[in-house]
Amino acid sequence: MNSAILSCTGLDKPEGSVAREVAIRMASAAGSEIICPVLLNRSLARYKKVLAENPLIVVDGCSTRCASKLAESLDLKIDRKVLVADGLKSSGLTLEPTLNLGANGLALAQTIVDGLVQSLTAPVSAVLSTAQSTEFPPPREYLVVTHDKFEFRIPTADYWFNENDVWVRPLGGVARVGISDYMQQSLTDINFVDAPAMDLTVEQFGELGTLESSKAVFEVVAPVAGTVVAVNPEVISNPTLINEDPYGKGWIVELKLGNWPEDRELLLNSDAYARSVKHKAEEA
Amino acid sequence: MSEATFMGVARDKITWHPTIDYDKCNFCMECATFCPHRVFEQREGDRRLVVANPNNCVVFCRACSKTCGPDALSFPDKPATIAQIKAIREQESVQ
Repeated sequence: MNSAILSCTGLDKPEGSVAREVAIRMASAAGSEIICPVLLNRSLARYKKVLAENPLIVVDGCSTRCASKLAESLDLKIDRKVLVADGLKSSGLTLEPTLNLGANGLALAQTIVDGLVQSLTAPVSAVLSTAQSTEFPPPREYLVVTHDKFEFRIPTADYWFNENDVWVRPLGGVARVGISDYMQQSLTDINFVDAPAMDLTVEQFGELGTLESSKAVFEVVAPVAGTVVAVNPEVISNPTLINEDPYGKGWIVELKLGNWPEDRELLLNSDAYARSVKHKAEEA
Repeated sequence: MSEATFMGVARDKITWHPTIDYDKCNFCMECATFCPHRVFEQREGDRRLVVANPNNCVVFCRACSKTCGPDALSFPDKPATIAQIKAIREQESVQ
């Protein structure tokens, strides 16, 4: 799979230098077309053809996410992302404090490259499961919370919420998870979904990936414990589906439930969540 | 922010807020600009950014740390906080 790669310039901190190194190594390891962020910012036309023909990989050094923000400002569709700072934490390495990469920096860059190459060559079925064992009927009725000109819908039945605006819809030992209408409106257009890995086991209130919009990076706080058995491929390719249909086609993951009766005690039903939304909207 | 409870527990009994590592913070103020709950405040002096309203922080939210380039914001351990909330709920249910 060919790709284009846009990285941090690498001139502010060592994590940036790793991002830059990843781009250079991806060019030789996977034939990725390197996109210079400075030139891209100056002349989008220079890269128009490359971007039209290849999925875009964005490599940010730190959480300032300059490369991601540049891509978003130019309305570029991002296929996948890497944050070096996250890779550094999970590697257990300590980066040398210089812009010239040392052994650890180079090792981290290679680890990230290996992961990217693997993800580019892996079949989609290894990353996402599209096979749904259960049919989840869409909500039939909604409560509506109004605040100023805004309306926030909440399904009247079958959906449970945590106070972090994530819903769960259980059905026969599995459950779908997504974010509420209130949260999708707060985030505005979602432009990237960093989904959890298949087979990941998560505790209640653990992290189930992140959603990114121009306003924020939102951590999906797991409303229940469970194991990821499906990731919605539609929201990966079209994240704004979450904005368009947050309780239906915009579901994010399916979990095999771990401890539903106990987890439910720490969740809100529709009425209680409606009160929570009203309060949040008034405070915002 | 007048919200007083989280999962039925008084908010001020739950330890959940960012801590600033002043050795790393470069006072870019991205977090203060981002957080809609006014957890942070800008001040005069060397420490120009402080966690002024820790109980305004939404429990389990770590979004500000995802805006922090120098990685200067940290949060309590989530499982420990969950255990703390469950323990308080249990304690209050028997009272």
